[in-house]
Amino acid sequence: MKETIQKLLKIDRRYLFLLLTLSILIPILKPLGLPNKSISRDVKNIYNFMEGLPEGSTIICSIDYDPSTAPELHPQATAIIKHAFKKNIKVIVLTFIPGSTGLIDQLFEKLPAEYGKKYGEDYVVLPYMANIVAVITQLNSNLYSIYEKDKDNKDLKSLPMMKKINNYKDIKGVINITGTAILDYWVAYVGDKFGVPVMGGVTAISQVGYGPYLQKGQLKGLIGGMKGAAEYETLIKEPGKGTSGIDALNVAHLLVLALIIMSNLIMFFFK
Amino acid sequence: MKLFKKYIPLTIVFLFGIVSLASYYVPNKLSEDYLEVMNAWENIVSAFGFFLGLISLFYAHYMKIKKKVDGWGYSLFVYIGFLLMVVPAIISKGTQLNPDASLTWLGWAFRYLYNPLSATMFSILAFYIISTAYRSFRIKSLQAFVLFAAAFVLILGRIPVGQMIWDSILGFTKVTAGEAIDWIIGVPSTAGKRGIMIGVAIGAVVTSLKIIFGIERQYMGKD
Repeated sequence: MKETIQKLLKIDRRYLFLLLTLSILIPILKPLGLPNKSISRDVKNIYNFMEGLPEGSTIICSIDYDPSTAPELHPQATAIIKHAFKKNIKVIVLTFIPGSTGLIDQLFEKLPAEYGKKYGEDYVVLPYMANIVAVITQLNSNLYSIYEKDKDNKDLKSLPMMKKINNYKDIKGVINITGTAILDYWVAYVGDKFGVPVMGGVTAISQVGYGPYLQKGQLKGLIGGMKGAAEYETLIKEPGKGTSGIDALNVAHLLVLALIIMSNLIMFFFK
Repeated sequence: MKLFKKYIPLTIVFLFGIVSLASYYVPNKLSEDYLEVMNAWENIVSAFGFFLGLISLFYAHYMKIKKKVDGWGYSLFVYIGFLLMVVPAIISKGTQLNPDASLTWLGWAFRYLYNPLSATMFSILAFYIISTAYRSFRIKSLQAFVLFAAAFVLILGRIPVGQMIWDSILGFTKVTAGEAIDWIIGVPSTAGKRGIMIGVAIGAVVTSLKIIFGIERQYMGKD
C-alpha cells in the first residue's frame, strides 16, 4: 500500500500533462457557466474612470502584447474598446511590440462595425514604434513629430478626430494592456511626469507586482488576467472571451492546487 | 589613439549625460527641443542596434550549422522562421489587411503561423508548471508554507469556483477571497516589491552616474 502510494510521486509526467489537457479541454467543450461573483476595486476604478469621461473625450490605448499572452489580454483590450465605443470615447491605439500589430488588426476587424464607429473619426491606429521611453516622452510636446502617418500610411493630421489632438494635454487618460514591463514606463514617464491618468491591464502573474503603484495612486486602476477581463465584461454587461475563458481556468487552477497538496501529503505521511 | 578610443567617447558620454539629466528637470522650450532631437536619435540608434542584433543572431546560428554542433538542426528554423515572416512582409509592403479587409500575405502569415506558434510556445509553460508543482514543490519549511499559503489564496481567489470553495470553507471568517487577495497584494507583496524597486532604482542611478563620470567603462569594450 505504502509503496503504491509512494510510486505516485514518481508518476510519469505525461499523465500529468494529460490531466491538464483534459482539465482545460472539457470546460471549453462543455462550459461550467459559474457566475463571477466578485469584482475587484482596481477593475471597478477603470470602469468608473471611463464612465466619468464626457462624450467625445480621447484616450490612448497602448496595446502591447503578442499572441503568447493574448488569451489573457485580448479579452481585456476588447472589453476596454467596447466600453469606449459605447461611451462615444475616441481611442488612439499605439503599440511598442511588433507582434501586437496583427492582434490590433484583429481587434478592430469587427468591433467598429458593431458599434457604428468609423476609422479616423472614432479611433485611429498608429504604427509600431521602437524605443518606448523616447516615444512616450516625446508625445508630451508634439505627437506628430513622432507619428506623422497612421498605420496605413495616411497623413495623421488629416484624420478628423486628430484635428484637436497635439499632445497629452488633449488626452484624458492612458490605458496600457501589456504582458511586458511597458506599463512601468507609462507610469514613470507619463503618469508621474505629466500628470496623465494611467491605467493598466496585465497578466495575472504580473498583477501582484503593481501593488506599490496602485497604493500610491500612480496607477488609477488595473485589470489582472482573464479574471479581470471577465470582471470588466460583467461591468459593461458584454460577456466575452474573458467570461467564457475563466471556465477553463477553474478546473486547471484547482488541479494545480490539488496536485501540490496531494504530493505533499504523500511526502508527509508515507515517506 | 587614446584620444579617439578613450577621451572623445568619455567626453561625449559626460556632456550628453549631464545635459540629458538636466533637461529632464528643466521644463523649457530649449530642453524640450533638445529632448526631441535626442529621442529621434535614440530611435535611429535603436534601429541600427536591432540590425546588428539580427546579424549577430544569424552569424551565431550559421556557425552552429557549419560546425554541426548538437541541435544544429534547430538553427535552420531561425532562418526558416525569419523568411516565413519577412518575405510575406516585403510582398505585402508591411500591411496585414487589404483595403477590402481581406488578409495580405503578411496578415495570413501572422494569423496562421506566428500567432499559433507563439501561443503554443507560451502555453507549454503550463505543462512545466503542473509537472514542477507536483514533483518539486515541497512544503518543508516555514518559508515554503508561507509561499504555498499565499499561492493558495491567490489561485482560489482568481477563479469563481475557488471563491465558492473559499466561501463554504472559510465563510465563517467573514473575509472574502477578494479581500484576502487585496491584503496579500496590498501589504506583504507591496512591501517586498517596494523594497526591490527602491534597490533597483538606487542601483540604476549609481550605475548611470558611474557611466556619466567615466568610472564605469565596460560599454566601451576591452581596448
